[in-house]
Amino acid sequence: MPQLKESVLDALKTEESRRAFLAKFASAVFAGLVAPAVAGEVAPVQAAAAEQSGLTDEFDATQLPEAVEGEHPIKRMMADLRRALQKPMEQRRWGMVIDLRKCTGCNGCNVACITENKLPPGVTYRPVMTETHGTYPNVARRFIPRPCMQCDNPPCTPVCPVNATWKRSDGIVVVDYDKCIGCRYCITACPYAARSFDSGYFYGDFEGGERQPYELLPSPEYGENRVRAEEGSPIGNVRKCHFCIHRIERGELPACTLSCMGRATYFGDLNDSKSLVSELIGQPNVMRLREEMGTEPKVFYLV
Amino acid sequence: MKPVRVLWILTLVGFVIGLVGVFQRVIGGHTVAAYNTYVPWGLWVAAYAMMIGLSVGAYLVAALAYGFRVQALKPVAPIALFAALATLAGGLMAIWLDLGHPDRFWRLFLATNPTSIMGLMVWFYTLYGILLIALIVLTQRNSDAGIVRNLSLLGLPLVIIFGGAEGALFGVVSAQALWESGLTPILFLVEGALSGVALVLFLSVVLDKATEDAVRWLRGLALGLLAAAIVLEWAEISTALYAGIPAKTASLNLVLFGPFWWVFWFFHVGLGIVVPALLLLFLNRRTWALATAGGLLALTAIASKLNLVIPALVVPEFEGLRTAFTGTGLTFNYFPTLAEWLLLVWIVSLSALVFLAGVWWMGRASVQTPRLTKA
Repeated sequence: MPQLKESVLDALKTEESRRAFLAKFASAVFAGLVAPAVAGEVAPVQAAAAEQSGLTDEFDATQLPEAVEGEHPIKRMMADLRRALQKPMEQRRWGMVIDLRKCTGCNGCNVACITENKLPPGVTYRPVMTETHGTYPNVARRFIPRPCMQCDNPPCTPVCPVNATWKRSDGIVVVDYDKCIGCRYCITACPYAARSFDSGYFYGDFEGGERQPYELLPSPEYGENRVRAEEGSPIGNVRKCHFCIHRIERGELPACTLSCMGRATYFGDLNDSKSLVSELIGQPNVMRLREEMGTEPKVFYLV
Repeated sequence: MKPVRVLWILTLVGFVIGLVGVFQRVIGGHTVAAYNTYVPWGLWVAAYAMMIGLSVGAYLVAALAYGFRVQALKPVAPIALFAALATLAGGLMAIWLDLGHPDRFWRLFLATNPTSIMGLMVWFYTLYGILLIALIVLTQRNSDAGIVRNLSLLGLPLVIIFGGAEGALFGVVSAQALWESGLTPILFLVEGALSGVALVLFLSVVLDKATEDAVRWLRGLALGLLAAAIVLEWAEISTALYAGIPAKTASLNLVLFGPFWWVFWFFHVGLGIVVPALLLLFLNRRTWALATAGGLLALTAIASKLNLVIPALVVPEFEGLRTAFTGTGLTFNYFPTLAEWLLLVWIVSLSALVFLAGVWWMGRASVQTPRLTKA
């Protein structure tokens, strides 16, 4: 460290040597990061830093979420997915597990969902809610992504006056955009506010009225590749999360699951006892949102 | 100037001004309205519920006159029938324009979901509409005919069913704590009957078609229904607040003490209960007082519907949703836009035009009815 300090001061002495200083500084930082590790000195360096900041080096591993043992979760979920797709549709039961201890509230899943499904303003399938508990200094935050719960007993489907929304045999609740009349009764019936109304806004409306290029891209929802245009469906329709069935059915994980940088979202077949999601929901720290409503959600939260 | 002429002028002015709202709705779609993903229903749904209620009450008067042969109500029964038809048309127009895809309304007939109250309602409305038109035509020929009596009596269970079912449409939604109650269908029925009877009272006095006996009947009916509505509303609000179910209490607190408290206290309680009750009770010999009471009861019926529809929806299912992902179309705040108000003005004017045109058509053929003795 004294060496680095000296060289920094030297480099700053002249304007001309700025480039040389940056080169030296970068090298020193890199060396500082790599060299101790190479020399097996990582732990002492960390301990010294902790000592300086007043923290102890005692690390309580039980405070961390348990690691998923075995192979990489993505690899395992992909294998679960392929296995499920080999079964008849009615034998699959898609479900999602969200580990709230791992969710960082980055909204990556929400953005991935919007990007995947080309969602317009006013429509969201997976907002991430923030909850703050306690008061300073005993305060904590947790982030709760809220996709559609794909309820086993969905209250939104029986109220539809025209049979435009239903639960598929694999448990996913879908909307037929060509049948939906846009009465929005199903939105009021959902206890999770998981349905959206596509009023017809475009991001371009707020950018001088010109449609943005990405708004002219077709949405892969339900494998229909619809381009959103004035007055045509899905404008005027109710829209919702469908676990990216267009991706599932070609053997891909939902966009939210794949994009989760904290690896907090898991997806798979709940009917498969060997799937990762089945394993995860077999723990005692599982909860579902608003269970008292009797909707039997298929989105589980680990707390 | 005759009151009926004033009504015509007001109606035509409203119709023309309201056309701006129609134009905005047609051009701008649903982006001109304030309802959205989180508050999916607004002013137009409240107006629909109110106008259907008016129709229920107006029909009640006609059914008493033609079905139960209450002779005192016979002079006002034609007005009641036309009012029932006009308000039904207005209510259906409000909900039709509220649809995301009004062009697909035919699916309600061809793809009815029998488990949906809304799906079943469309059949009730159709039957009811046909019944009203049939009764209007038949009563013009011979209002004492047996078929008029039978049809009127047949229509009574129909209006009770759909008047209650309209409340059940809200009452069965367990996700909305403010709506979900066994009392909701009954409250809709009673409030609807009250507002419709009051509308007939107002119109019959204004159109100079009321007799003393008819007014006595209508006043009695209105007072009785008002008392019943007060009891039901008190039961609903007091038990809910005492029970303290958070979501329901939050909605009721908004109704009673929220930013739009004046809708409840001024329009609903003040102009919709206290003033009409005082007028009906203490100024019952003055025609202007009775007409005012009737008009106020009918007009302020929208306050209770607004206070049912909106406060339930503006309370988030999860508090975290308020800030989770916000922006246009993703807000729990709702206040109708100018376009929504203008369209409502147009719908009410259209409804009034249907009524006035009907009364004008009827007046050409009808016999003179005895007039109310003015106090």
